[in-house]
Amino acid sequence: MKMKMHSRLLFSALLLQLIGIAAFAQTAKNDLSLSVSYFNSNNQVQYLVAHAKSKIDGKFQMIPNINVSFYIGSESPSNLLGKGVTNNKGECLVLIPPAAKSEWNKSAKPGFIVVSQATKQFDESKGNFDVTKAKIQIDTAADKKITAVLLELKDTAWTPVKDVDVRIAVKRLGGDLDVAETPTYATDSLGMVSAEYKRDSLPGDAKGNITIVAKVEDNDLYGNLSSEKIVSWGKYYPYKSEFDKRTLFARRGKSPIWLELIAYSIVAAVWAVLFYLFGQIRKLKRLGI
Amino acid sequence: MKTNDTSRRDFIAAGLLAGLTVAGCKSSKSNPFDSLADNQVKPSGEMVKLLGVNGEVIEVDKAFLKPVPDLPPISNEMARRGIAGKKFVMVIDLSRCKSVKACQTACNHAHQIHGGQNWIKIYPLQEAEHTAPYWQPTTCMHCDEPPCVKVCPVDATFKRQDGIVLIDSDRCIGCRFCMAACPYSTRVFNWEELELPKEVAEKPYSCETSVPQKKGTVGKCDFCPDMVRKGGLPHCVSACPNGVFMFGDMLEDTVTNGAETFRFSDLVKDKAGYRLMEDLGTKPSVYYLPPVNRNFPFENKEPQTETKKS
Amino acid sequence: MESIAKQKIIEDLLPQKFGKAGKIWVGALLFICAIGFFAYYRQLSKGLVVTGMRDYASWGIYISNFVFFVAISLVGSLITAVLRLSDVHWSTPLTRIAEIIAVSAITFASIIIIVDMGRPDRFYNLFLHGRLQSPIVWDVIVITTYFFVSLLLLYFPMLPDLAILMKFKEKTGAGLNKIYSFLGAFWKNTPVQIHISEKAINLLSVTIIPVAFAIHTVTSWLFATTYRPGWDSTNFGAYFISGAFLVGAGGVVVAMFVFRKAYHLEKYITDSHFDKMGKVLVLLALLYLYFNVNEFLVPAFKMKKPEEEHLLGLFTGEFATVFWFAITTAMIIPILILLFKKGRKPLPAFVAGCLVVIGSWFKRYLIVTPTLLHPFLPMQDVPASYRHYFPSWEEWAIAIGSLAGALLIITLFARIFPIIPIQETITETEQHENENA
Repeated sequence: MKMKMHSRLLFSALLLQLIGIAAFAQTAKNDLSLSVSYFNSNNQVQYLVAHAKSKIDGKFQMIPNINVSFYIGSESPSNLLGKGVTNNKGECLVLIPPAAKSEWNKSAKPGFIVVSQATKQFDESKGNFDVTKAKIQIDTAADKKITAVLLELKDTAWTPVKDVDVRIAVKRLGGDLDVAETPTYATDSLGMVSAEYKRDSLPGDAKGNITIVAKVEDNDLYGNLSSEKIVSWGKYYPYKSEFDKRTLFARRGKSPIWLELIAYSIVAAVWAVLFYLFGQIRKLKRLGI
Repeated sequence: MKTNDTSRRDFIAAGLLAGLTVAGCKSSKSNPFDSLADNQVKPSGEMVKLLGVNGEVIEVDKAFLKPVPDLPPISNEMARRGIAGKKFVMVIDLSRCKSVKACQTACNHAHQIHGGQNWIKIYPLQEAEHTAPYWQPTTCMHCDEPPCVKVCPVDATFKRQDGIVLIDSDRCIGCRFCMAACPYSTRVFNWEELELPKEVAEKPYSCETSVPQKKGTVGKCDFCPDMVRKGGLPHCVSACPNGVFMFGDMLEDTVTNGAETFRFSDLVKDKAGYRLMEDLGTKPSVYYLPPVNRNFPFENKEPQTETKKS
Repeated sequence: MESIAKQKIIEDLLPQKFGKAGKIWVGALLFICAIGFFAYYRQLSKGLVVTGMRDYASWGIYISNFVFFVAISLVGSLITAVLRLSDVHWSTPLTRIAEIIAVSAITFASIIIIVDMGRPDRFYNLFLHGRLQSPIVWDVIVITTYFFVSLLLLYFPMLPDLAILMKFKEKTGAGLNKIYSFLGAFWKNTPVQIHISEKAINLLSVTIIPVAFAIHTVTSWLFATTYRPGWDSTNFGAYFISGAFLVGAGGVVVAMFVFRKAYHLEKYITDSHFDKMGKVLVLLALLYLYFNVNEFLVPAFKMKKPEEEHLLGLFTGEFATVFWFAITTAMIIPILILLFKKGRKPLPAFVAGCLVVIGSWFKRYLIVTPTLLHPFLPMQDVPASYRHYFPSWEEWAIAIGSLAGALLIITLFARIFPIIPIQETITETEQHENENA
C-alpha cells in the first residue's frame, strides 16, 4: 500500500515537473496542483477533500487561501456541491449534500470535480476523482477475530471485490493502531479479510470498549472507506489526574495546606503587630490632643 | 521512507474520521475514544442533511460534524481545565532526526513566531568526546511537575488535567521567572511588538492556539491542543517528513506520527525510551528514543553552532 | 543638663537649607532621574527590546539592581534593631541614616521590579490572580511588610524630634512646619506617650529582624528555587543575607561620611563611629567571604558538568574580570584597609565603604546574569545577539536613574528631617553626664 502510494506520488511529481517546465515558458505564475479525495465514513457520511499544492523553490508546498468549488458529474452550477477555501495545510473539505442525489444515482461511477479560482500567483486549476461506489462491512467474533467485507455497487447489487488492501485497526487519537503486527490484508474472492486482535490489555474506556475500524485508504477506485464497530476487548485503567490536588504546581487556591498554614500564619502574626502599632499611633494621637 | 504528503493525508483522514464517527453510530456516545471532544460535545439538536452512499438522504447532528462546519470557541475556563480523560504524550525518535527543521517551520508558521525565535529547537548534541553526535529536537516537555508553573505568580502559565502546560498571554505580567525556572530553555519572550498580519493580530488570544502572541509576555510550545480538539495532530508532528515526532494519548497507550501508529508502552520499552533530565524530577511528558541504528550520517552544516554536550 | 548644651545640639542637628553644593547635587540627581524616566518611556513604548536582555539572558541589571536594593535595605534592621536590642548605644546617631537608606532602597526595589516587568500595566494581576505557591508572591508580601515596618521604625523614634522641630517654625519655614505638625503635632512628650513609643520601638526592633531576613531570603529563593547551575544552592539565603549586611553597612559608612562633611556633624558622627563601623565592616566582609568560599569552592571541587561552564566562566572565562573585581573590591581590599586602626579613620573608611558598595553592585550582576547564559542545554536556534548580554543605554540609564532616585529620597529626607535623632542624642548626652557626675 505504502509502496504503491509512494510510486504514484513519484509519478505525479514527475508529471507535475514536466507540466511545470511546459508552463514556465508561457507564464511566470506557479502551477497549482489540485486533487480531490473521496471519503466515506461508516458507509454513511460522505465528503470530499481538496488538496492544493504547488512546487515552489523545488519543494512541494501546501497552498492555503485558495477558493475551490466542488462539482459532481459536470462543472455546471446545478451540480455544485459546495465551495470553500483551503486551510494552512492546503486542504478544503465539503460534505456531500442531498442535492447531489440525482447525479449520484445517475451513474455507477460518479465523478467529482474540484476547480480553483485563479489568484495572483496561480492560474485556475482542476482536479477530479471518479469514485466507484463501495462499502465495507465489519464484523467481529467473540474469539477476537475481525472480518471485513468490501463490496462495490455493480448495477444495483453490492458485489464482493477481490484483491484490495484493507487495514484493520483500533481507532486512536490522530491515527489508528493496527490490531496485529500485519498492517493490511488483501481481500479474497468473497471480498473478505480477516484479522486477529492481538493487542492484549490495550486501554479502553470505562466499560473496556474500544472501536475497531476497517478501512480502505486512498484507493484509486474507491477512495477512502471506513467502517467501525465497538467491542469490549479493551481494559479499563482508572486514571486520576493531579489537576485537583493541592500541589506546588497547581493553580491559584490549590496550594498545599502546609504552605497555606505557614504563609498565612506568618503574615497574620506580622501584620497583627503592624496593626497593633498603627493602633498605638492613634492612641498617641488621642493622648496628645 | 514515507513522504510528507502520505503522512499528511493519512493524518487528516484519521483526524476527520475521529470526529465524524459519532455521527454514524448511535451507541457510541459513551466511548471516549470515538471522538476526542465528546466530553464537551452535546448533541445540538440541529440536524444536517447529507447524502449517503446508497443515494439516500441521512441526517446528522451538527455538533458531531467536527471539524467540519465550526468548532465552538473554547472559553478561557475550558482552556485552563483541558480535555477530560486525556493525558497527552509525545515520543521523539532521535534515530530518525536529521535536522530537516520542517517541524520548526510549521510550528513558527502556525504560531506566527518571527525574528529568529523558535519554540522548537533542534540541538546538535554530543555527550562526550567519543560518543556519537546526534540531533535532538526539543519542544516544551509539558512536565507533570512543571517548575515553570510552580513559580508563576499569577496563574498565567498552568498545568491542565490533560497534562498540557499552557500560557495565558492575556494574563502574563512578563516577569520571566518561568524562563529562569525552565531547565529545558523552551520558553521565549516577546521582547517587542510583533509584526502580525492584521487579521491575526486582531483575533482574541486563545490559550489553546497561543495566537496572537503579545508584546511583553512569554510564549512556548503548546502541544497544539486546538489541533488535537479537532482530531488532528500538533503541527510539528504532521510536518516532519521523517516521522520523528509521535503524539498521542497516554491513556490510549498509543502514539502516532500520522503515518505510523505504535503502542506507546511497547515502543518506549522496545526502544529504551527515556526523558530529558530525569534527575531533576520534572517528569516530562516527552519521551526520547535513543539515536541508534541511524541510516544517515550526522551532518552539522551550521559552522557557528558548535556541537556541545548536553 | 543646662539648656545651652541642649540648644547647641538642637541647633546643630536641625535640618539645613541646601547650600550651593547641595543644590548642584540635587539638580544632578534630578537630571539623572529624568534621563532614567526618558529611557523608561522608550522602554514602555517599544517594549523590553530596548534592553540588552534576550531569551537566554532574560534577567539583567534590572534584577541585579533589585537584589542590590533589597540587600542594602537590610541595613535598617542591622543598625537599628540588632544593635538596639543588644544594648549598643554608640550606634544611636546612625539609626536614622540606616532607616532612611532602608526605606528608600526598598521603595526603589519595588520600582525597579516593575520596570523589569514585560507588562507593568498588568501589575494588578498579582493581587487579582496571585498564586501563593510562587516565590514572587512571597516577595511581594514580605517587601510590602518590610516597607511598613521600616517606615514605622523611622517614624516612632522621630516623634520627639518632630515636637522639637515644630518649635523652630521661623528657622524651618512654614511649609515644613505644616509637615511636622501633620506628622507629630500630637507628641507632647508625656511619660505615657514616651512609654508607648518605647514599647513600640522595641516591638518593631524585634519584628524587623525576621522580616528583614525574610525579604532577602525570599529574594535569594527567586534564584535558588530553580535548577540552574550557580543558583541551585542551599547556601543561598545565608549567602545573600551576609552579603546584604555587608553592603548595607558599607552604605551607612559612606552616608555617615557624606552627612558628616555636608552638615558638619563631626561632633556627633565621630572618628570612634568610623572605627566601630569599620570593625563591623571587617567582620561582615569576612563573613561574606566565608559564604563565597562555600558557594564557589564546593561546586568547583566537584566540577559537575552543568556547573563547570558556569564556574569556569566566572573564574577564568568571560566574566572573570568582573568576578575578581567584585571579590577584591567588595571584600579583600576593604578588609585590608579596615583591619588597621589608621584604615578606620573617616576618609579611608569612606573609601572602603565605597569599594564595598561598588563591588557589591557588580557582585549582584554576577549572581544574576552569568547563570542565565549557561543553560543546561546549549544555546541553540536563536539569533547571534541572544548569546551574550550587555546592558543597553536605556538599561544603564534606568538602573543609574533608580540609584539616583534612592539617593534623592535620602537627600530630601535629610533636608526635611534631622538626619541624626535630636531627642535621643540629648537623652544620651544627659545620661552620659549623669554617669560622669
